[in-house]
Amino acid sequence: MVSRFDQQKTKHQLFHVSLSLATILICMTYMQYRRNWAHLGSFWDSLIVPIVFIGELLKVTLARFFGRIEDGVLTTKQRQKKAAYFTPRELLGGLTLQFLCTLLYAFICIILGAPVLANYEQTFVLSLLMTLLTVSPTVFLLGGGGALQVCFCEKPDFITKCEDTALHLFKYNALGGILGAWAGSVVAPLDWGRDWQAYPIPNVIGALLGSALGNIYACTHVLYACGRVYMSKKRA
Amino acid sequence: MEEHRSRLAYTFYMLTLFLCGAVLFLIGFFPASYSVAENEQSIPIDRPTTLHGEKLNPPPPNYQSFILFLIDAFRNDFPSENTMPAVYERACLKLSLHVDIPTVTMPRLKSITTGTLSNFIDIALNVGHTEQLDDSLLHRLKRREAVVSFIGDHTWVHLFPSEFTRKVANNDSFFVNDFYEGDQSVTNALAEELEKTDWKLLILHYLGLDHIGHVEGNESPRIKIKLKEMDDAVKKILNHKHMDNYLLMLTGDHGMADGGGHGGNTPAETSVPLYLYSKNCSKYTSSTKRYNQIDLTPTLAVLLSVEIPTMSIGCLIPEMLQSLTLEEQMYAYFYNAHHLLNRARVKFGHDRVRRSDYYHWYQNATLLHKQLLTPLRVGDGTGASNVHYQNAKLNYLRVAREISAQLSESLVKFDYGFIAVGLTLTTASTLHLLLSVLFLDLASEKLRLHSFNVAQLLLSLVIGTLLNVACHLLDIVLTSSLLYSLLLLLPIVASIYLSIDVIQALIKIALPPLYARRLKLSIPLPTPLLLCFAIRIFTLGSSSFIEFEYKTWYYLGNTLLLLTAFKTLRRRITKANVELDGRHLHKIASACLWQQRKIFVVLLLLMLMRYLHRLSAIKSTLMLFSLILFWARLRKFTNTPQTVFNGIAFLLVYCFRGLNGQVKFVELPSHMVSRILLPVLVLFWCCVALVFVLGYRTALPQQNSGQSLLDERPKSNLLKLLQTNMTCSLILVALLYKVQNVVLLPTLLITLDETYKLCDAYGSTARKFSVRVVHVYKIIMTIVVARMFYFYQGNSNSLSTIDLNPGYMGQTSYNPSIVAFFVTLNTYSAEIHSFLYLIVHTLRADLRSVGIIQLQPPYARAVDTLVVPLYAALVLLPVAFYLCLMLVFRYHLFIYSVFSPKVLYDCYTVLVFYLVFLSTSLYFKLFKHDA
Repeated sequence: MVSRFDQQKTKHQLFHVSLSLATILICMTYMQYRRNWAHLGSFWDSLIVPIVFIGELLKVTLARFFGRIEDGVLTTKQRQKKAAYFTPRELLGGLTLQFLCTLLYAFICIILGAPVLANYEQTFVLSLLMTLLTVSPTVFLLGGGGALQVCFCEKPDFITKCEDTALHLFKYNALGGILGAWAGSVVAPLDWGRDWQAYPIPNVIGALLGSALGNIYACTHVLYACGRVYMSKKRA
Repeated sequence: MEEHRSRLAYTFYMLTLFLCGAVLFLIGFFPASYSVAENEQSIPIDRPTTLHGEKLNPPPPNYQSFILFLIDAFRNDFPSENTMPAVYERACLKLSLHVDIPTVTMPRLKSITTGTLSNFIDIALNVGHTEQLDDSLLHRLKRREAVVSFIGDHTWVHLFPSEFTRKVANNDSFFVNDFYEGDQSVTNALAEELEKTDWKLLILHYLGLDHIGHVEGNESPRIKIKLKEMDDAVKKILNHKHMDNYLLMLTGDHGMADGGGHGGNTPAETSVPLYLYSKNCSKYTSSTKRYNQIDLTPTLAVLLSVEIPTMSIGCLIPEMLQSLTLEEQMYAYFYNAHHLLNRARVKFGHDRVRRSDYYHWYQNATLLHKQLLTPLRVGDGTGASNVHYQNAKLNYLRVAREISAQLSESLVKFDYGFIAVGLTLTTASTLHLLLSVLFLDLASEKLRLHSFNVAQLLLSLVIGTLLNVACHLLDIVLTSSLLYSLLLLLPIVASIYLSIDVIQALIKIALPPLYARRLKLSIPLPTPLLLCFAIRIFTLGSSSFIEFEYKTWYYLGNTLLLLTAFKTLRRRITKANVELDGRHLHKIASACLWQQRKIFVVLLLLMLMRYLHRLSAIKSTLMLFSLILFWARLRKFTNTPQTVFNGIAFLLVYCFRGLNGQVKFVELPSHMVSRILLPVLVLFWCCVALVFVLGYRTALPQQNSGQSLLDERPKSNLLKLLQTNMTCSLILVALLYKVQNVVLLPTLLITLDETYKLCDAYGSTARKFSVRVVHVYKIIMTIVVARMFYFYQGNSNSLSTIDLNPGYMGQTSYNPSIVAFFVTLNTYSAEIHSFLYLIVHTLRADLRSVGIIQLQPPYARAVDTLVVPLYAALVLLPVAFYLCLMLVFRYHLFIYSVFSPKVLYDCYTVLVFYLVFLSTSLYFKLFKHDA
């Protein structure tokens, strides 16, 4: 049975996915342009983190833009939530949450074999990137408290339909990023002697590629649904 | 519904069959000697005397006496101006030899004397049995009735029992704590030998350097002292008055790895120096060219003026022949090329040789050689003849090198019959065990895996006999006697029987009959665990992943722990949050995080363990601290008197290390130390025995009869006995471990404890609680943690990292069985004790602490029905897969350097597990009734 086709939602999804893919493409182009990947792990010299940051911000803006349409049909709870978005409390909470997440990722990196002190800058960049890929979009969209609730509650009732769409796509992005970064380490023990086998590079690239794959997966789902609707319409 | 039938007996059969299969596979993969099959008679023994009709005279020996000065583990960078001034400065020629694997003494000696590569499995024979050789330089010398004298390690005497005219052998070549005595006696005997002048070849073999390397590593200050001693010994020979026309060759049998051991494939182990000394030599520049160790044999044969040993496949070392006349040199090159060509003819057949490039080179060279003979004899060495000479020499060398390379490649020979039988048996038994565990509830009724079927046995007996006869007729399997052929029937029948079972079961699983329910797995297989296990198995296919296997384990182990911890955390928070509906979320989160703080501490500890080798600066403090921690941990398993003796035992361990000077301790004069050392060890053993006896006393039936009713929680005798066993062996390991490794023991116990708690919590927070998930998680976690600690300890897949020291703890002579027991206990302590701990934990587990009160069936009952069989299956599965991989990779470049040591390690791991399993199940068999 085909559910009702939501044109707005599909548009939003497709825009969102293409934004993610574009971000990653820009990252890849940048890496191609720089040739030498040794700088990928340094904080001041690499543009990966800013590019991903801007990409995530654009995605959130996109969600806001599509959310504008349903402004009229919000429940009181959703309205309250929306109004509280720019309060200092929420902002501070969001920042703290992201900071803690970065620390957590750094901890995980070290537990999984990163050098404890020697490569702290690289570890910081990697954990920053992971935070940007996983936690930040949700925090930007819902604020700190909201993000926590999304993570730990069954189904919070303050989430609008449009936000739900975005969150669903963020999930793919995040999962792909984590798995990619984790799997990136596979090249570390190989004896190829390439310079890109040094610690943060495979993980950074793995995270980017992983999130790209996650997005492609999401994209195929959306397109498949579209295709089914199209076919059933044609048949009718 | 679950049957409580013990599956220990079944697991035992499967493990036994697996081990038989593994042994057969090893026999087939590393045939004990590959030279047997070749027809040696077809290679002429005597030296050639004609060349295209011209008569040739084999040259007489160029030197009056030869000395082969072997220093065990003499690495390429050891001799230098500072360490061995005389050796370094007086050498006429300095070369570097490449040593083949395995880099252990006995195969190397074989290579030096016979000139052939040695079999990988010789590494195992190195320790125990040595076969006698048929043909070598020494045999040839004996046939000429030359006097050969030998002083040194008794391995030589085992190899050549009757070839030496005089021999002085040290009998303690495996007693590594002897640094000086053995070498001193060699030097003393050398002084006597130098006075006699009748010998043609004198062989000296010094072992002290190797022993120092094994015990103290290659950075030890004693190495310098030892090198000085060797330097003095060489100087003594060189300065001796009887020595006029001599050639002294100083070399090592193998090198020394960076940790001090040997047996692996690192450059430090596989290259040794070769220094030559003779009177009035013109100073040659040291050659940068590298020769093989087997090249020494034909070169020595030429210099000694004996025949090249039949099996030799080495080339000549031109630098060593400089002292010969041109004609003699020509003859030497011709002789070796001729010998190798004959070997190639036998090996590849006449036709293939005639069609090859090297045959033409050889023809070319012999023609040139013939043309040269007259001018050389007349003494005209100018102009055209010099060009001819160089041309002929190059051609001869080229022939030799080409044939040598081809022959050493073709030496590898597999016995596919044995490999096939072994592989079928291992694979079938592993699959059988795995299927029977995975379909635990169905295994006996539906799949009929456990019931013994006579008809099937008869069928497989018939097929097996037919196969066996067919194989023998077709010469696929070669056995030396009828008895072996009959014995071979057993594994064939067993593998056919098991294969029929497995195939039937697989068909039943793949095509479930329509009337029955779908066959369901009885064991839940969580995806992350499955994924990690699969990754671990598939990384076995890459040589770098095998070399750095510890990285895989650290990564996967920590990932699993983190993943489980975070999943549990999230479930806990979500659960707590259901009522509160989103308020105070951060408080709940931090409270839950605090609840799980211990697992994060464990993760940090595991991270610290990676840097264990850097902590040697604080090792005294660390050892004291970890012994106390360990003692506190062990209190859980012991009663009060036992605890006291535990404490005393640990104190004695510290004293022992202190007296040996490895940790800070009261300074004592050395004669006192040597007198106290023995009583300390005896006291330690008394303490261990007391702990043991006290533990067993509580389990005695008459003691137990009255009190068990009064006890709050009557513990079973089985549990008490197993706990006592585990405690005793843990105390013993505390003595055997290296000083900075002792901290691993308490950490292992803490890690296992916390991991089990985490698994309990994980299981209990799941929506639908299942005991089996908890079991599966615990088993896989135990295997992973055990492997991690195995590698933390400094083990690897290279044979050079085996620590031999614990074997000689407090011993004054070499006793193979004690050494083997101690070394095994030390190397595999993490795996042995993790398994024991898992069993003890499962027996005493109390799930009430995590909120599960009634369990049907009882938790502890699963030990012999689920835990042990699954553990065994998971231990066997990677090994079985790896054996199959070995067959695929048999022509891989790294097969002997990387893959083969790992296969030995793997099979030995299974053997150790088998023994531990055997002793544990014996207790189950004996004491199950009062559980």
